[in-house]
Amino acid sequence: MDFRSEIEALSGQNTNLCFQCSKCSAGCPLGDKMDLKPAQVMHSIRLGREQAVLNSTAIWLCVGCETCSARCPQGVEPAAAINAARLMAMQQGVPPQIKEVDIYYRGFVDNMRLNGKIHDASVAGITQLLTGQLVENLPLAWKLFKRGRVKPPPLPFGGSDFRKVYRKSFEIEEGSAL
Amino acid sequence: MKYGYYPGCSLEGISVEYNHSMRSLFTALEVTIEDLPDWICCGTLAAPSISRLLGIATPLWNVAKAKQEGFEQLVAPCSACVYHFKNAENQVNTNSKLMSEVEAVLETSLTGLPRTVHPLEILVNDGFEERIKSGIKQDLSDLKVVSYYGCHISRPADVMQFDDPEDPQSMDLVLSWVGVQTLDWSRKVDCCGAHFSLIKPDIVVDLCTEIIESALEAGADAIVVACPMCHANLDTRQGEIAQKLGRSIDIPILYFSQVLGYALGIEPKTLGMKKHIVDPLPLMLEKCQPWGNGSPVLQEVSA
Ligand code: SF4
Ligand code: SF4
Repeated sequence: MDFRSEIEALSGQNTNLCFQCSKCSAGCPLGDKMDLKPAQVMHSIRLGREQAVLNSTAIWLCVGCETCSARCPQGVEPAAAINAARLMAMQQGVPPQIKEVDIYYRGFVDNMRLNGKIHDASVAGITQLLTGQLVENLPLAWKLFKRGRVKPPPLPFGGSDFRKVYRKSFEIEEGSAL
Repeated sequence: MKYGYYPGCSLEGISVEYNHSMRSLFTALEVTIEDLPDWICCGTLAAPSISRLLGIATPLWNVAKAKQEGFEQLVAPCSACVYHFKNAENQVNTNSKLMSEVEAVLETSLTGLPRTVHPLEILVNDGFEERIKSGIKQDLSDLKVVSYYGCHISRPADVMQFDDPEDPQSMDLVLSWVGVQTLDWSRKVDCCGAHFSLIKPDIVVDLCTEIIESALEAGADAIVVACPMCHANLDTRQGEIAQKLGRSIDIPILYFSQVLGYALGIEPKTLGMKKHIVDPLPLMLEKCQPWGNGSPVLQEVSA
């Protein structure tokens, strides 16, 4: 399958519907920090510019706020197409343009797999440690701790039979980005 | 109505005060909620970045459990969780191949799932106006706030099917029931930067600066929110925002459940109001007059 068809299949979006009005780019809260803006990502997908999309900062900077999808006059959901591109980049091991985001998503899912739920303080601590931001966040962590907002980590490997969700998803999909 | 309750990971960690205030509000309104057994994390944007099926199966695991429990609605106070539930459901409903794959993963049928809702949806749609109005114990009519909805209460509209994606009104409405003045402003559906707080805090500071400046320009005493991430970002980043703006910033961020609970006479401590970084109690004491002589705040402070 070519790049465009693959993104369309993963995201359920038809990139041909996009008429490049750029309304999605205009409303994107992260647009000013992206190299390719959401409308340019859409156009690049349609043109099959796989490397340009998978090596863009846009696919990592998108926070999934859905402003673009809410405002598109053509009913296209750029957020879904961008998510599909990030999934593809992570599954192919494309070096991430914003490595902190890659570290965070992997660490988050690793934590989910331990107990089904995440332990938010561990996810925050591990992410900040691996991205070199731990020290500057300690004062805030202490304030939250004093206010009883940091709960102790649970024993790992508790929870119900949720692990089959992971096993079977990865089986049917023949792999994952982990 | 049989309501299931899905707190989600944040409400058991950094946002315990949202959990406590939500539960005590339901108790005050005599609504029975039952916790969803064995719930798991909805996966947010992380799971769908690792595996497409996982990103759909983790939210739907919970909705399928809610169906097995016989819940008619599954209430989730985190608007991002609600979004991931509804979005996953929407995806399987529009793609039969995906539906059968996710059914194979979860080993259950995904037809006839209960509706997932944000608590604001229940308050607005399930007829709570009279119950709330008749339970008011504190006069909050001096309090001026802006309602901040953030991303996912109503966006995208075809998935969320609640309120107006550009100018939502549900929170303003329920706050008006207890007499709070809600001001017009232009940033009610802007994004706070969500989980980027942990990875790119400078981006969150930029986005939250605009939101807070705009709230102050509108004349708000406080910002009222309905999402744990909105709360965490706006409440914990005010030091950096103050540095950026070169002036002191100190605006309380309250959950709508705390404001409603406070008006209904629930103690501030029960509502978790002492857990915020920016302490909202001085404002509440200044603005809110007790009806009769039963102010729990004044009693607590003098005790
Ligand atoms: S808003 Fe829609 S039609 Fe306009 S550029 Fe973006 S995706 Fe294309
Ligand atoms: S969902 Fe992503 S691309 Fe769309 S407006 Fe939000 S941040 Fe921008």
